Amino acid sequence: MLSAANQGSQTMAALDPNSMENRSGDGVSQGQAPAIASHYTWPASATQVAIPWTYGANSAPFENTTTPGLVHNYDPLRDSTASEGAQVAMNSVLQTPASSNLVATNGSQSYSGYVQNSSSTYAYGYGNIQYQSNYYGQPHQASYTPYQQAGASQNSGASYRPHSSFQNTGSYATPTCYSGAYFANDHQTAAGYPTSGYFNQTNYWNDGSGGGYPLQYASYPSSDTNSTPSTSNATTSSFPYQQECNQWSTNYVPSVTTVNYMPGSGGMVASTVPTVTYSFQNGVPLCASNQPPPPGTTSWRGDLGSSTLLAPQARNDVLSTFPHGSWEGKAPTEQNYYLTQIPSDLQRASESKLPFYENNVGSEKTTCVTDPSSSLQVFPIRPVSQNPQQPLQTSSTMDTCRVSKMQIPTNPRIASSLVMGMPKLDKETSTTNAAAKPAYISIQVPKLNNQLSSSDDADAVIKGAFPPSVRAYVERCFSRCKDDAQRAANKLILSEIIAKAKDDGTLWTKNWDMEPLLPLPNSNSSGADQNILHSTIPSLPKFPSRRIKSRWEPVAEEQIDPKVAPANNDSTKIIGWAERMVGSRTHNNMDNGRNSMKFPQQSLLSKTPQRPEKKSRFSDTANIIENGSSSSDSDKEQALTKHYSSAILLENSPEERKRREHRSKRFEKGQERQADLKQFKPKGAGVGNIYLRRANALMLAKSSDDQSTAVEDIYWDALTVKGTCQDVEKRYLRLTSAPDAATVRPEEVLEKALHMVQTSHRNYLYKCDQLKSIRQDLTVQRIQNELTVKVYETHGRLALEAGDLPEFNQCQSQLKRLYAEGIKGCQMEFSAYNLLCAILHSKNKRDLLSSMKSLSNEAKKDETVKNALAVHSAVSSGNYVLFFRLYNSASSLITSLMDLHVEKMRFEAMKCICKSYRPTVPVTYIAHVLGFSTSVKTGVDHENGANGLDECEEWLKAHGAVLTFENNSELQLDTKASSSTLYMPEPEDTVAHGDANLAVDDFFTRAS
Amino acid sequence: MAYISMGEAHRRIIDFLSRFSDSISSQDGAALKPLLAVSSNSSLLSLADALNIFQDWARLVKQADRTSQQLGEIIVPHLRCIQSYRIGRFVEAYVAFEKSANAFLQEFRNWETGWALEAMYVVAHEIRVLAELADKELSSMGKNPEKLQGAGSFLMKVFGSLAGKGPKRVGALYVTCQLFKVYFKLGTVHLCRSVIRSIETAKIFDFEEFPSSDKATYRYYTGRLEVYNENFVAADQKLTYALMHCNSRYEANLRMILKYLIPVKLSIGVLPKMSLLEKYNLTEYTGVVKALRSGDLRLLRRALHEHEDQFLRTGVYLVLEKLELQVYQRLVKKIYNIQKQKDASKAHQIKLEVIVKALKWLEVDMDVDEVILHYVECIMAILIYKNLMKGYFAHKSKVVVLSKQDPFPKLNGKPISS
Repeated sequence: MLSAANQGSQTMAALDPNSMENRSGDGVSQGQAPAIASHYTWPASATQVAIPWTYGANSAPFENTTTPGLVHNYDPLRDSTASEGAQVAMNSVLQTPASSNLVATNGSQSYSGYVQNSSSTYAYGYGNIQYQSNYYGQPHQASYTPYQQAGASQNSGASYRPHSSFQNTGSYATPTCYSGAYFANDHQTAAGYPTSGYFNQTNYWNDGSGGGYPLQYASYPSSDTNSTPSTSNATTSSFPYQQECNQWSTNYVPSVTTVNYMPGSGGMVASTVPTVTYSFQNGVPLCASNQPPPPGTTSWRGDLGSSTLLAPQARNDVLSTFPHGSWEGKAPTEQNYYLTQIPSDLQRASESKLPFYENNVGSEKTTCVTDPSSSLQVFPIRPVSQNPQQPLQTSSTMDTCRVSKMQIPTNPRIASSLVMGMPKLDKETSTTNAAAKPAYISIQVPKLNNQLSSSDDADAVIKGAFPPSVRAYVERCFSRCKDDAQRAANKLILSEIIAKAKDDGTLWTKNWDMEPLLPLPNSNSSGADQNILHSTIPSLPKFPSRRIKSRWEPVAEEQIDPKVAPANNDSTKIIGWAERMVGSRTHNNMDNGRNSMKFPQQSLLSKTPQRPEKKSRFSDTANIIENGSSSSDSDKEQALTKHYSSAILLENSPEERKRREHRSKRFEKGQERQADLKQFKPKGAGVGNIYLRRANALMLAKSSDDQSTAVEDIYWDALTVKGTCQDVEKRYLRLTSAPDAATVRPEEVLEKALHMVQTSHRNYLYKCDQLKSIRQDLTVQRIQNELTVKVYETHGRLALEAGDLPEFNQCQSQLKRLYAEGIKGCQMEFSAYNLLCAILHSKNKRDLLSSMKSLSNEAKKDETVKNALAVHSAVSSGNYVLFFRLYNSASSLITSLMDLHVEKMRFEAMKCICKSYRPTVPVTYIAHVLGFSTSVKTGVDHENGANGLDECEEWLKAHGAVLTFENNSELQLDTKASSSTLYMPEPEDTVAHGDANLAVDDFFTRAS
Repeated sequence: MAYISMGEAHRRIIDFLSRFSDSISSQDGAALKPLLAVSSNSSLLSLADALNIFQDWARLVKQADRTSQQLGEIIVPHLRCIQSYRIGRFVEAYVAFEKSANAFLQEFRNWETGWALEAMYVVAHEIRVLAELADKELSSMGKNPEKLQGAGSFLMKVFGSLAGKGPKRVGALYVTCQLFKVYFKLGTVHLCRSVIRSIETAKIFDFEEFPSSDKATYRYYTGRLEVYNENFVAADQKLTYALMHCNSRYEANLRMILKYLIPVKLSIGVLPKMSLLEKYNLTEYTGVVKALRSGDLRLLRRALHEHEDQFLRTGVYLVLEKLELQVYQRLVKKIYNIQKQKDASKAHQIKLEVIVKALKWLEVDMDVDEVILHYVECIMAILIYKNLMKGYFAHKSKVVVLSKQDPFPKLNGKPISS
């Protein structure tokens, strides 16, 4: 591809000089406006080539466009082009020669200007070269450089401008291929350049328009490649032109060029600016040449002048930003053109490139974004201004006029050629962000695909084109960046470095791992090429801010980005990619970030007068535009000045500062959060940040790559609370939201709390409450150790003591799990409890079986467990004597557990006694065997035997037993009489809801 | 692994594929059956060897699949399962088989007639067997054995596909039995309830319509469930049915039924002949039966202790434990008979101390005399209370006064009243 393209370009170049000039003139006159965008990039070297291209395709459109109703004219053209598609391209190719002739005049003009520019701005050329190489992707570079060299000033200039602007646009759509094409074109002839760019754009458009996106895309790249190598660049170029034209038309609407310009210039200035400007200059001529048919032909310079007129401020700004005296004059115009081009591109981008935008945002965020935004703005403005200008300018032979005209015509053509719907969309989108946004969204996916398919995808390109070590290096560099400004600066430098390495051919040979990382704060001066950097550096500060803004800007604006990127497409891509990587690592979701970023920008935009103008103009037709442009000149100027000042003063302007602050704050926040997440600090720092953390973690889960972070990938530890509360006492409250660290007690406090509960003499209700809160704190902090076991054991025992079986079961199940994890505790004791529970309180025999099964031999030897098993046999056989013997001899806790079964057991026993004993049974005996007295062993009443006896008597009476006195006043149970009168009384403390613990009276007594 | 030539391997695979598709296209369930039986068809092992040699067998399947659609989804994982099974990777085998089984079930649903029921039985059986093997492998690797659970849910799906009015409904009981096996193995027998309910109450099922082997198996499992619930009468009925309808050639099955039926019978007072225990090698019950015959409490306790693990595992421990009262009854009866021989007129009055003395002879550990008195007195009361003895206990004189008429009523198939 590249080589072929280069060759083609070479040949073209050879031809170009002559034709170029001619073309340039013609082109300028014809397709000024349309060509402009593409031409811009093309201008210097491309001018020649580009011109032909533009001529072919543009010429017709241009002619049409010549008429004031540019848009309308365009439309027809568009339609034809669009429908014809490849044919059109062919035609354009064919036409190119003719057009080239036509262009000649314009081309010459432009060319001359171009030459000047090139000579003066050799650095620019250099930058362009790099860009080109970058654009090409790695492969193209090699061939490219030679071309440039061969092309010398022309090539460099042409390539630069076109590349930067065009490439950006094109590159966005289909970066590498396009760039390659562009270069080839540039070298050969400007035509190729534009075409390639156009193609890209067209592709985008198509994509944007809808259906055959991928297909078109695929075909596009191929066509580009073909065209480039075979000198048929013209064909390809023509396409692009048309596209561009369409874009222009779309762009055309906005008259805020100046504003856009400003951003664009700023952005450009930063890294690509020099090249951009160059390209502009070149491009302008080229555009002029392309545009020649209409008014442009004659007045390249005039156009320039017009452009300057239109955007004097811009020029000034440019000048101020760019220290190139000679350039200045042209530069402004060029810049304007550029801007216009950019806008068109942007618009396209916005429509079709929006996806790109995303990519850009992701990878090249700053650069791309900035460019797009700036370019977008420019676009709208331009068209408006241009249109009005054109008439005016034509008379005055303003380049700008031509440009505008050209652009407009071309734009319509492009749009038409691309897709009818799309062009409209573009226009609309360009005008209104909202409109653009939807388009953007919809497009995004296609773009990705396209990019992937065409290897435009930043990632793909980066991965494929850059050695992993470079990627790693870039990542490293970015990982050190603390804020956007640094990142942007970093990016700039990195792009330069990488571009340089590419040019040197050391990209793959250099030991990137050993490469020193860039100094963080002001790496600008250090890293980049001196030539380029010099020019760029001054504007650097702006760059980051710009880029960032544009990145986050609304879709339409964002779309413009690609153009800016052109210069550093590849490098920026990789950088952007790295940024993305870093960004993703830092948990800044692209989406979130984007959204957040966008807002500031929007606000900025809204602040600037351009916006409203844009919108109104956009919606309006060419005529209106003209009016608007004329009327809004002052506005524009103001806007321009504003922009410029802001751009120039990037860091100094209050707005910018604010924005920066905002941004940096945002990042700080993010960092804080991260810090929170990662190193959960023990003390108060974390307090109250839970929500943030949680949100962050969730966000992470959601965002980190937006696509597929499963729930299990969430770093749940980050959500674990680390308590800071120092209160030993805490009431239990069931959590209804995320736990707050401020109210959660750390482990050491919990230990104290446990001790407090253990030594407390307050009632069970209080202790239960306290223990539940302790358990809760343990749970939310995910503490599972011996303390946890201790807490559950304590609570389990207390619950047993109080007969709170539900609570006990909770503790028991937790303890089972904890014991199973190997945490030491009183396992035997609790397995005995477990057994007893199964024996006494579960009707399910399988529970008992399984718990018996699970007993280890060791456990079976344990006395407590043995007793529990004895209880089991006593219960299963109904042996009340055994039962109550065990009951009285058991530990208090087991007693309390058995307590729950005592009533049942006693009643059963009474039934048994009543049936089997005759005639009477002494109550003393019953009191004995049924455990009313504490000791059964002796069978004789002890000191407290009397108490037991009374109790037993009461119990018997309560259960309907018939008691009689026999002989010597010993109380006897009349078994026969009792057997029919025995009954189980309703438990006194029974409550309707079945939970005695909830009984109101009981509650009050306990709570006291 | 015997070496097989490539051609032979190819031939075997092709042969298998053609047999498989033929059996399906001709709806020949009997021919399809052996092709699915991964764990029990040794000819599939040679196929596995062939598959190992002919690595590109998937291509063959694809070719074959061109003619018979859909089968690839069944065959490819099935062959992979055979391969994994051959080399002892049961987890992989299970995973592959489940995939294949799901595809098969998908097809099975579409077949109107029940020609593939037999094949489905094989699938249901195989998936359970493979799941058990896989779980064994998993737990040996320290992982969570969960495959059997997965097999259970697959079987539920199969059950759902069978529970309809069509001719396939007769297969429901087989799947139910497989489900029982899974649930009993997993210890989640409560899950059986829903299946039982649909089998026994759904109008589409006529229990008599099911194959008798399935009916016997079904009764066996439901009988076991009744044992868990200590519902001895129902358990006796079901297990007896199973025993009666079990093919007498399958002694292992008979033994499994008897394992539960004997304790059930014991608890309702029916003692087996010793020859029966010997015939079916159920010697763990010999001690228990002997104890019941002789009223030897010590022997009962020893027998229970000796086979505690086994009884706990099978779930009859609690049943056997309750035989203690019957042993006491036997003991008292023995005393009564001895007294009767001495003095028939006073035989119905048994002094408590005589019983205690007997227990002491049996070395039943009782600590203090007074305690043992209370203890034995209590047991006598319970015996009377539970209607194992007729009579009363005179507390004052510490004498058991037995009824002169049938003092020790036999249970005769009735459970001890509670």
